[in-house]
Amino acid sequence: MKMLKTLGLLLGFSLVSSLAQAGEGLKWYSDGSVDLITYQDREVIHLSKDQLGTMFGKGKQPFKGKKIAITVNNSGPKGGISGPLYRLRPAWEELTGAKLEIVEMPLAEQLSKTMFDLRMGSNQYDGFIEGAWYMGEYVTPGYIIPIDDYIADPGFPQWDPDWFPPSLREIHQWDGKYYAVLNDSDGQVLYWRQDILGSKEWQTRYKRDTGKDMPHPPQTWQDVIDIAKYFDGKNWDDNDPDPDDGIVMHFRVNEQGMFHFMSLSASFVVMGGDTVDRGTNNYWFDPDTMEPLINQPGHVRALETLYELSQSGPAAQAAWDLGTAWDWFLRGKSIFVFSWGDVGSLVQDESRSKIKGKLGASVLPGSYEVYDMNKNRWVRMDKPNIAGNTTGGSWQGVISAKSKNPEVVYSLYALMATEPVSMWNVNRGWTGVDPGVQIHFLPPVGTASVMGYLKEDFHERDLFYYLDAYHKNFFADTMLPYLRINGTEEYWRALDQNLSETMIGRMTPQEALDSTYKEWQSITNRRGKARQLKQYQQSIGYRH
Amino acid sequence: MRRAARVKWIFILPASLWVLAFTVFPFFYGLYLSLFNVQFGVEDQFIGLGNYTRAFEDSRAHNSVIITLIFVFAGVSIQLVLGMLVALLVNRPMPFRSVLRALITLPLFATPIAVGFLFFTIFYEEGGLINGLLGVKIPWLSTPHFALLSVIIVDTWQWTPFCFLLFLAALQGIPEEYYEAAALETTNNWKIFWHVTLPFLQPTVILVILLRVTESVKVFDIPYTLTTGGPGVATQVLSMFAYRAGMRFFDFGYASAISFMVFIIVMIMIFSLFGRIRQSFAGSEREQR
Amino acid sequence: MKPKTPWSPAAFLERHSYFILTLIFAGFSALPFYWAASLSIRNPAETFTVTGLAIPFLQYQPTLINWIEELAVGESQRALLNSTIIAVGTAVGVAVLGAPAAYALSRFSFRRPANKDFTIWFLSQRVLPPIVTVIPIFMMMQVFNLLDTRLALILVNITFNLPLVVVIMRQAFLDLPVELEEAAMVDGASYLDIFLKISLRLTMPSMAAAMLIATAFTWNEFLFALTLGSLDARTIPVHMAGAVDTRGIQFWFVGVRVLIAMGPPVILAMLVQRYIVRGLTFGALKG
Repeated sequence: MKMLKTLGLLLGFSLVSSLAQAGEGLKWYSDGSVDLITYQDREVIHLSKDQLGTMFGKGKQPFKGKKIAITVNNSGPKGGISGPLYRLRPAWEELTGAKLEIVEMPLAEQLSKTMFDLRMGSNQYDGFIEGAWYMGEYVTPGYIIPIDDYIADPGFPQWDPDWFPPSLREIHQWDGKYYAVLNDSDGQVLYWRQDILGSKEWQTRYKRDTGKDMPHPPQTWQDVIDIAKYFDGKNWDDNDPDPDDGIVMHFRVNEQGMFHFMSLSASFVVMGGDTVDRGTNNYWFDPDTMEPLINQPGHVRALETLYELSQSGPAAQAAWDLGTAWDWFLRGKSIFVFSWGDVGSLVQDESRSKIKGKLGASVLPGSYEVYDMNKNRWVRMDKPNIAGNTTGGSWQGVISAKSKNPEVVYSLYALMATEPVSMWNVNRGWTGVDPGVQIHFLPPVGTASVMGYLKEDFHERDLFYYLDAYHKNFFADTMLPYLRINGTEEYWRALDQNLSETMIGRMTPQEALDSTYKEWQSITNRRGKARQLKQYQQSIGYRH
Repeated sequence: MRRAARVKWIFILPASLWVLAFTVFPFFYGLYLSLFNVQFGVEDQFIGLGNYTRAFEDSRAHNSVIITLIFVFAGVSIQLVLGMLVALLVNRPMPFRSVLRALITLPLFATPIAVGFLFFTIFYEEGGLINGLLGVKIPWLSTPHFALLSVIIVDTWQWTPFCFLLFLAALQGIPEEYYEAAALETTNNWKIFWHVTLPFLQPTVILVILLRVTESVKVFDIPYTLTTGGPGVATQVLSMFAYRAGMRFFDFGYASAISFMVFIIVMIMIFSLFGRIRQSFAGSEREQR
Repeated sequence: MKPKTPWSPAAFLERHSYFILTLIFAGFSALPFYWAASLSIRNPAETFTVTGLAIPFLQYQPTLINWIEELAVGESQRALLNSTIIAVGTAVGVAVLGAPAAYALSRFSFRRPANKDFTIWFLSQRVLPPIVTVIPIFMMMQVFNLLDTRLALILVNITFNLPLVVVIMRQAFLDLPVELEEAAMVDGASYLDIFLKISLRLTMPSMAAAMLIATAFTWNEFLFALTLGSLDARTIPVHMAGAVDTRGIQFWFVGVRVLIAMGPPVILAMLVQRYIVRGLTFGALKG
């Protein structure tokens, strides 16, 4: 009966809304401000006249008759990254007079298909919502255009690049120029079950059983290992009668497993400082010789740590993809998970999560010992070395150099990046757009309103942990440099395969990273060492 | 006979010309590309046989060859025998025969891309269909040997109907009198199978082997979505290896080189098998009108 | 011949054992579809919590939300339409081109090139891994202005499946005794008549099998559908690959899509069933 009622309601609703939304994407006010009305759900986003840009206004449709095609991940009208495009489409089309074609592509194939199109000259698409690591592939052959002029132009919807922390600014630029517009901000933070780790009962038990205080919140990866080991195999969660795990990770090969290693190893490898050189603010290659640094002692010890940590997780995780691993945490079967902002918002969705209101989060823990690649020795710090990361996609809009309507494309991206629309995106978890810039965080570090999040059903305590963790992550003093040069996908996949072999015990960490070193050398040679070196120097801002 | 001469070309030319038109350029362009270092962003550089020598030294390529060989050998053998058995079973009258036949053929149409995802949940180790039902914790996807086995199982599930269909069609062509004659001499079903059915099926067996092997060597969708080539590289079959090189890293020269090496090996196999058919069936091929 | 009487104990057991074995195998074939159905009517949160046989109502409360969401978007329907059009176009193409070619190879002798050469050449088309031809075929379609069209995919699929049909049908024609055809020739029938009215009709089971197989291959073709299509010519396999979004594989949609995608093939397979098995009538024609 309930099912029939739901069915009837849903059918009725979609019928009514599909009738009602015909043609109505905007509502103008006399002061020049406007309401954007989203597709289907008909939510209202209010933009002031200034935020809208001088090109637009009632009756003004500056791009009438034009058509653009944008490629994006295959998540449909209600899924991550692509969803917002569908929602804003009617409003944008009415604003500009142009037509938007949303070309969805399977996530794993987006780079291939777009590069194919560009290389073969078929030019079917005007813009791409790319993952940040695609940029090297697009920029170096001149397939995408810089957008500094558009950003400065008051005619377009207004967004402020100063909202970016340096870490995120970097991945929207190449060699000092902007190529991508603010959209999503990805990075991995540590999540845990605050209701368990924060409970007096468990803390007492921990002390009793191990003789030590529970290192909560964890400051180092060793703390995480100790806690995870303790809880692994015990049934500390009453959502089901089976024993639970200490941690869960998504190690399925050729997917997102290598990001775990990157984020964790950052604190063992990246030494902060004011300069950039081989051993300072560096991770991937020697900036003078392009020699891979992936098998340096810091990286190796990090992999050993990761492996030890993984032993407190289910053995099956070696084959688990993102959603499957998160499901384990959301069901209450793991104390820890370290992954993207989607976890925080999924926890709020009670149709997927059993742990709403029980979340704790922080920037990833660090390491007391960091390997100095200038002095070639281990250095012990007074405080754990914490490194933030921007690992992941940070899906961002770029404009094809072959597009006949680049300004039309930019107007779409800019509209999505205006403060009201950007806030609308990050308030809602399903959009896949995660918070990362100043306007997304709560005062005193940001300017967002807490009500915006709470209205979308974010549990208050979870929210504070979540935003605090991400703020500390993106604004950290020391950051893991993001690899974006030509061939990043190839370098990462070589690493990923060897990491997977390590996780299943077929290779030792040293062997895996040594093998990666060799593979990276051949990749560099095949692509041309001089070219790769120059790009790498540009991407990390190395001046010699 | 001039009439026969004209007719035979009329019958065969449309298909031949079509295939020529659509495959000659791709084949030779692909071959040409295999002599280059392709990058998608800079000019392709001519490197002669560089991609081929690279394949000889690439341990990951060797791994893919071995994995593919195991997969092909194990998979095709099982599917051949199973397909034949089921065809023999279904060839007999029984209740609901057409429904059962339809059910048996179904897997062939399941989109392999989706089948990989589907079986991911079936093989889910912390529960799922199999482990949940049997109450065990078999590491179907997280250990190398079981992962390869899982891929073989799914492939068998999907492709046994292929063998089944071809054998069933061939069985339909065996004249009743042969069975009737045999039944006069013996009632042993095994003997009838061995002396009547199997000889008739031999050309079909060879055909099925040829077709299944050529398809199996190219297997892609199932390992792509079920195990993504893992864990590690335990199920990274050749086509996945080439796909990664070409589509992900834009190293199309290398992907082509590897593919041509595969081509040569399989063609050698085909030539040798084909010779065998001609010998056995010199009588059944109609030579002239 | 002394037929086994239906009611003797040996025959009874034997007959039933065949049935039971077939039943088991059919069950093994169908089980994953049952599982797909179960995935599709479960809450996403229960994807992994429901184990074993996943009996609805007993182990979980079924829901239609996945179906509603999927069908509301319309992508599945579009992919279905595209795939069906491409499959039908390909089936027609391979039948019209392939059957005559196979017949020629089985009944006539060619000298330069020889029959064997033709056959191996056709077979070799299936051997080359398609990744080699991705770029050149893309280039060809670009030149013909056929990117992102169903026609492009029909052309490509005919090219790849034609050899299959030729090779399968050649064997079927070879297995067909010539007496009937020779008799018709004596009566003055044309080659075309003989081919269409006698040879093709008598090899219907193989033709049906070959068509089914070619259609299955076309239905499941992924690489070219991915590279040549983007918006207008999205096919089912590409749509399936799209079940992976930024949060991982959406298994509940996989379940729905697997079942939707089975629709046309199931109908086709049922229609074609009766051509595959011609039963005992074959013998009558010989007399």
